[in-house]
Amino acid sequence: MSFFERHILETLIYLPMLTAAVLVALPFGARAAARWLSVASGLALLVGSLYVFFVFDRSVDGFQLVRVLPWFDPLGIDFRLGVDGVAVLMVLLTGIVAFAGTIIAANVERETKSYYVLLFILIAGVYGTFVSIDLFFFFFFYELAIVPMYLLIGVWGSSTKFKTFDRPKEYGAMKLVLMIVAASLLVWVAIIVMYNEAGLGTFSIPALSEFALSGGEGGGPGFSPEFQRVVFPLVMVGFGLLAGLWPLHTWSPDGHVAAPTTVSMLHAGVLMKLGAFGIIRVGMLLLPEGMQDWALVLFILGTVNVIYGAISAMAQTDLKYVVGYSSVSHMGYVLMGIATMDPVGITGAALQMFSHGVMTALFFAVVGAIYERTHTRDIFVLNGLASRMGWITAFFVIAGLTSLGLPGLSGFIAELLVFIGAFRTQPILGVLGVIGALLTAVYILRLVGRVFYGERSGEWDGVRDLSAREGFAMGVLVVPIVVVGVYPGPFLDVIAPGVDLVLAALGA
Amino acid sequence: MEQAWLIPLYGLIAFVVLALFRGFLPWQGKHLSVLAAAVAFITVWPVLFDMVRQGVGLYRYPKEWFTAGDLSVGWGIMVDPLTVVMLALVTFVALAVQVYSLGYMRHHGADDPRIGWYYAVHSLFAASMLVLVLADNLLLLYVGWELVGLCSYLLIGFWYERPSAAEAAKKAFITTRVGDVGLLIGIVLLVVEFGTFDIGTILAGVTAGDANGTVVTASAFLIFLGAMGKSAQFPLHVWLPDAMEGPTPVSALIHAATMVVAGVFLVARLFPLFDAVGSVQVAIAAVGIVTVFVGASLALVETDLKRILAYSTISHLGFMMLALGAGSLTAAIFHLLTHGIAKAMLFLCAGAVMHAMNDQTDIRKMGGLRKRMPVTAAAFTVGALALSGIPPLSAFWSKDEILVAVAGGLHPAFLVLLLIAIGLSALYMARALRLVFFGELSRENEGVREGPLVMGGTLAVLGALTVVIGVIALPLPGGYDGIGSFLYDAVGGAHGFELNVVWAAVGTALAVGGLGAGWWLYDRRPDVVAAVQTRFAGVHRVLVEHFYIDAAYQWTIDRVILRVSGALALFDRLVVNDRGVNGTGLAVVEAGRRLRYHVTGVFADYGMAMVAGVGVVAVLLWLQA
Repeated sequence: MSFFERHILETLIYLPMLTAAVLVALPFGARAAARWLSVASGLALLVGSLYVFFVFDRSVDGFQLVRVLPWFDPLGIDFRLGVDGVAVLMVLLTGIVAFAGTIIAANVERETKSYYVLLFILIAGVYGTFVSIDLFFFFFFYELAIVPMYLLIGVWGSSTKFKTFDRPKEYGAMKLVLMIVAASLLVWVAIIVMYNEAGLGTFSIPALSEFALSGGEGGGPGFSPEFQRVVFPLVMVGFGLLAGLWPLHTWSPDGHVAAPTTVSMLHAGVLMKLGAFGIIRVGMLLLPEGMQDWALVLFILGTVNVIYGAISAMAQTDLKYVVGYSSVSHMGYVLMGIATMDPVGITGAALQMFSHGVMTALFFAVVGAIYERTHTRDIFVLNGLASRMGWITAFFVIAGLTSLGLPGLSGFIAELLVFIGAFRTQPILGVLGVIGALLTAVYILRLVGRVFYGERSGEWDGVRDLSAREGFAMGVLVVPIVVVGVYPGPFLDVIAPGVDLVLAALGA
Repeated sequence: MEQAWLIPLYGLIAFVVLALFRGFLPWQGKHLSVLAAAVAFITVWPVLFDMVRQGVGLYRYPKEWFTAGDLSVGWGIMVDPLTVVMLALVTFVALAVQVYSLGYMRHHGADDPRIGWYYAVHSLFAASMLVLVLADNLLLLYVGWELVGLCSYLLIGFWYERPSAAEAAKKAFITTRVGDVGLLIGIVLLVVEFGTFDIGTILAGVTAGDANGTVVTASAFLIFLGAMGKSAQFPLHVWLPDAMEGPTPVSALIHAATMVVAGVFLVARLFPLFDAVGSVQVAIAAVGIVTVFVGASLALVETDLKRILAYSTISHLGFMMLALGAGSLTAAIFHLLTHGIAKAMLFLCAGAVMHAMNDQTDIRKMGGLRKRMPVTAAAFTVGALALSGIPPLSAFWSKDEILVAVAGGLHPAFLVLLLIAIGLSALYMARALRLVFFGELSRENEGVREGPLVMGGTLAVLGALTVVIGVIALPLPGGYDGIGSFLYDAVGGAHGFELNVVWAAVGTALAVGGLGAGWWLYDRRPDVVAAVQTRFAGVHRVLVEHFYIDAAYQWTIDRVILRVSGALALFDRLVVNDRGVNGTGLAVVEAGRRLRYHVTGVFADYGMAMVAGVGVVAVLLWLQA
């Protein structure tokens, strides 16, 4: 391994932490410096993520770029980093969204510096979770990513007033953090009991996965089927909640709506993926038989997510709530794809994680831009924006078309693969999934018709279109959407070894 | 022949350039789009000649696109006579319409402010439609299929400041998407069954009969559902009349000649699949004939010129489906071709009228326009006569083919209905022709003039083509044996071409009769029309309300779908969130509040509690021992 290859993964964790530290050291009022530093750091993260993406060897199964630093021997905890195919894609996603997000975050006027500090802690946590292959650090970074959310939403967020009730930002922040932390307790319990049950004295995921495959007495599967059946639901619910698993999804719309733009982008775009990633990484890899026992439940819940989220989105009157519920709906495809346990279906789930991440970040960026200009998100108030804000409209429509599964854009390939996997295993649920895509078209086009089309009204005469900086950030997000839609080969090739790993565990 | 893959590429390049850089180009780059369309049209000819020279057949050029799991997907092309016919039609009409739009989209010496975007989407449309007809696998076909739908959406809503246009665009996209749900499920079912998207492999598998019969039947029906949406078949036809909100050249290209026939093309492309399932054949024929009547009857009472043409299109799409249901691919595709050219011309005539009359589309405000717009009137007359089935104009030949096919392949009831429909088609065409172009010119319309040369010239070319295109039914020098064998030989089992004198005579007689009756009614005896309308007021009302189909859909959306979604959203907030989530939180708070009273701070209380605890533990230990 070259020098870069050996150190790249840890750099992705250290760099945002270092950025946060430097930001703290910056004098108050050095707002411009803070912005430049943050954007530069975001760019460096994107470059580093792209490096991981390209250096990853697509022909080799298993973890790559592995780096082990002993940390606490008595318990067998190591700072152990490495990536498989799915993780590489998630690293790339994080890089893209983090870069675009830091650019958009320059719009924040209040306490800019502190905002960036928390943002980079969040980013460090996200990277750490994706590249850790030691359960202890996996969990540590997972929690690290959640803590800053409370402050970011509570301080910089926005409250929503509806006709009959309010959703203050403090409520959104509180609910989001409490629910995710509560769910992570389940995950922690699962990790501890697996550690004990395996009795290997290590938290290493490769070692545990080896054990799960053939480490038991007589070469059989490591964890007994009964153990797996009991522990898997902890993992499924614990991680599933972060992925928006119905009926534990309600933190997601409220939390995302309350959050400031960049936080929504990162949270819906990247953090929700941590949940699905956790199910694949811990659930499928370490508890394959438990996965098989519970697959149908996950499948049904995922399908409920798709339909329920879409129908709820249809009834929303707040632009951001529509996007929030659409995330609930689209994460359902990820859960469905995972539950197929089929090579095509899982590949689709992984691609959908990436696609939805970029798309939803774009959605939140656009909605944030609209809100900053018009100070409302009420779709009955906004109208005819297209004639005033051509670029904003274009970006929203691109995101919308991605979400309704238009060919040529990333969402189509991902959802198609999920559908194929679903029809191979549970055709009825597959049909519901396809209907979900139709419902998406309904609520997206309804939005476009109401908010962007329509007569030019004098009300929005004064509002500007996107600045070049914002346009650039959104352009950064559009590139992967189009590239994956037109030329998904490289992305699918990266996913393939990761899927092989999981399939080997599932014995397929 | 492999260069056929270049044909869609030009439009795609033009789209990318115009979409990104139109702001920097002179005239917003509109000529670039026209150039791309022209080059595409020229590129088709070598392909056509290759096909005739190298022998009619199926030429495939597969290419790998991506691999996902155990599934490999290509983006190769296939060229067969069906493809060639579609390529020729699409590139020709696209070019004609783009040239025409140079004039149409200019008012008072200035282009539409978004002219660059207009041409960008036109280019994307041409590229997508060409991908659709060239695709050698179902995925690529679906890609083209959805993208033409997108272009249709964008162009119907081109003047999005008009609420009616915005609404119509949405309606078109969502209605066709309902059908696409079926199409996508059908495709996925086939892929799961055969393990590939490749059309050739799938059709071979179906023909060999070694597939699961239920899956094949289900996917045939589901794919036909997609075709119904795109080709505006009853009951999914409701979007097409509303789609007339778009600029008229768009209606000519997308909603008459090309995109709306994609459903017919799809059934033709997958013909062996439908051939293998007898029940779906009957369903196709039934849907076709119902659509014919729905379209024709509504065209008869409509007063908006463009919507008359739209209903006529629906009716003719029904004819094509009927022919496919009767097992005659040749008749369907031939009619697709002749109708496409003639109907595009009729729409462009309507556009010329609108251009001259300040976007007026109400035929009651027209009349006598031939005196001011002779070229347009002549073109419209040719088109109307052609679509009525008057020899030797284009659609006469194809309509005769449909008659022969239906007479030979379907229950006699279909034949009777078809004959009535032919008369009815001529009747509504005569009405439109008479009310718009003949009779007295009203005083307000004295100032009406023909549009610029590009518009009139386009009409003249299309008109000439409508007159002569029928000859492709006949053998020509150079190894071409007529459209019948051209299409027939490639798709074994389909219906060949034969001119049946008896049916030709019957069809012509009906057409002449329908035209004569229409002329008599609307020229000589409008009082009879009025009397009929009063006498059958109920029927007239039902027709004016489009059989209440739109109203029923609207009711379903408002009263069922939106209410369900509203109720679900409320459930999510009140039950899942306020009860489930907040409830849990409140329960914890409440538990804390109650337990608080046990934290008294009195030492004796704690002592008592400890004693009690020790006591319980002691008892438990004692029981265990």
